[in-house]
Amino acid sequence: MPQMSHSLINVENVTKKYQSAEEEVWALRGVSLDVCRGEFLAIMGHSGSGKSTLLSVLGGLIPPSSGVVIIDDLDIYALSAERRADFRREYLGFVFQQFQLIPYLTALENVMLPLVTINWSSRHKREKAGEALQRVGLGRKINRLPHQLSVGEQERVAIARAIVNDPPLILADEPTGSLDTLTGNDIIDLFQKLNADGLTILMVTHNRDNMHHVSRAVFIQDGRVETQEPKAFAAACGLQKSGTGK
Amino acid sequence: MKTWTIALKNLKRHKWKTAFLIFSLAVGVATVLAVYNIMQTMQLELGDYLDEFGANIVITPRAEGVELNYGDTHMGQVIFEMENLTVTDLERIDDIEERRSINIISPKIIADVDVVGQKALLVSMDTRLEFSMKPWLSLHQETGIIAGETGKDLALLELPPNGVLLGFSAARALGKSAGELLQLNGKAFQVAGVLAETGGEEDGLIFADLGAAQALLGRPGEFSMVEISAYCNFCPIEEIVAQLQEVLPGSQVTALRQSALLRKETMDRYAAFGYILSGIVLLVTGLGIFNTMLSFVRERTREIGILRAIGFRRSHLLQIIFLEALFVSIPGGAAGYTAGILISRLAGPFLAQMQLQVPWRLELALPAMLLAVVLALVSSSVAALKAAALEPAEALRFY
Repeated sequence: MPQMSHSLINVENVTKKYQSAEEEVWALRGVSLDVCRGEFLAIMGHSGSGKSTLLSVLGGLIPPSSGVVIIDDLDIYALSAERRADFRREYLGFVFQQFQLIPYLTALENVMLPLVTINWSSRHKREKAGEALQRVGLGRKINRLPHQLSVGEQERVAIARAIVNDPPLILADEPTGSLDTLTGNDIIDLFQKLNADGLTILMVTHNRDNMHHVSRAVFIQDGRVETQEPKAFAAACGLQKSGTGK
Repeated sequence: MKTWTIALKNLKRHKWKTAFLIFSLAVGVATVLAVYNIMQTMQLELGDYLDEFGANIVITPRAEGVELNYGDTHMGQVIFEMENLTVTDLERIDDIEERRSINIISPKIIADVDVVGQKALLVSMDTRLEFSMKPWLSLHQETGIIAGETGKDLALLELPPNGVLLGFSAARALGKSAGELLQLNGKAFQVAGVLAETGGEEDGLIFADLGAAQALLGRPGEFSMVEISAYCNFCPIEEIVAQLQEVLPGSQVTALRQSALLRKETMDRYAAFGYILSGIVLLVTGLGIFNTMLSFVRERTREIGILRAIGFRRSHLLQIIFLEALFVSIPGGAAGYTAGILISRLAGPFLAQMQLQVPWRLELALPAMLLAVVLALVSSSVAALKAAALEPAEALRFY
């Protein structure tokens, strides 16, 4: 059984197979992973290693071929597709590769998107979105369209959108992949601040420099988790003293 | 921000496609509305025209014995003993409840007369009423008896008491032409005119003034039959017949179906053509909207993926696409209504080849809007379902 007390995420023997007419491709081959609350975890690996597929499976976007994904004691693939959408809205913040902002909406409107389906007043939604933009240091350019912002600013808008509904978990897919080193470092700093505020962050990255800024890193190769050191997990989760770590 | 904000912003972003959608809807609605409006007006105008085109009710005395055929109606032969129609009967006709639906009441007396050893059928009536009711009749020859600007309008004819009109065949058989004298039962009448050949029963008749014929036949105040022309766009002809039957129990009241059937047949043909045309235009419009909305969804596959990933339900995406359809349908419907009415007013008379007064029909505004909304929603449904069915991860992979 996965740990329930400290782990926010328990992944048990998850596989994902893509089937085409000619061949079948195993993107994940029995991945097991625990992520505790407040952790800043980097999932690292080469291109095609399966790390983005794992993030999508964790985010409730791709059902695994087998295995179980439990987030906050909830088996997310036991939920219906619509309930899973609700779960994503309430529990998860996504930071996509290449930001994925909606080009015809302003920065503020892009940040407000996760709140659209919530029955709040427009004023409250604007306030929440404004606060999120302030948190990522982008309080002044809220009415600009994405193409009027620098890539670093667009990334910040994407992060603000991910945190606007106060989710406990952020899933970020190569957030520094399309940024220069300086801007990339700024973004990592921002993630660290959010993590310090109590957010659990899972970041997929192929940049080895980032592993120095996270509380733990796991490596994926050919759809398998190659290293998940119990000590590192215990340290990241603050479990050494209690002795309940894996 | 609400789902409608996203829908509205997307439409603003795709100005040309939005304009095309509004234009398509406007064309579809305008066509249907114009056809419908012209059909409706034509139906009324043509109905009025056909109703005036000949009698559609005939009243004859109940008769026993041999029947005489006239006007495709069986009527009592006047030489038999029977109770003739009188002026009192005309007053009763004038008093029925549906009198407002009656256009012309034309009493006439019909009898065979002696024309220099030959028998001929004499029909006498109020010529103005009779020829108003039968505008297809015209003069072949005349002696300057007709008033009016054209000099040819029989509805303005004042037939003198000693004058008769001859049907084309009757004139030939009797060897008479306009201006000559003719002996009827031994009394001299002047041939005031000869009717142009119709190919019908009028060709063999002699027409005389009602009063003169009654005097000639010694039957003052009596009529052989009464022909009635009723407006029947809205009046049930059966109702008029029933009311006439009630006030004239001794008479036979017969509704002539030809004009009603002709009108129905004509209108049915026009209506069928209109429906087919409207159906084709609606189909083409629907396909245009279908394609455009589908291309909207295709272009926004990634965007839909983002929305799904951040917690939009399928129903929210359906809502966005249907709201877009609704937003274009409102201006589309309004433009379609305006254009449809304008087209029907301007082109109606030309298309129908009739003097139509096509009205501004405000009561069609709401149906026009509803048509636009339904058309837009139905045509967008596939696109909406496609958007809702997109898997978020697959959609996010789309470039």
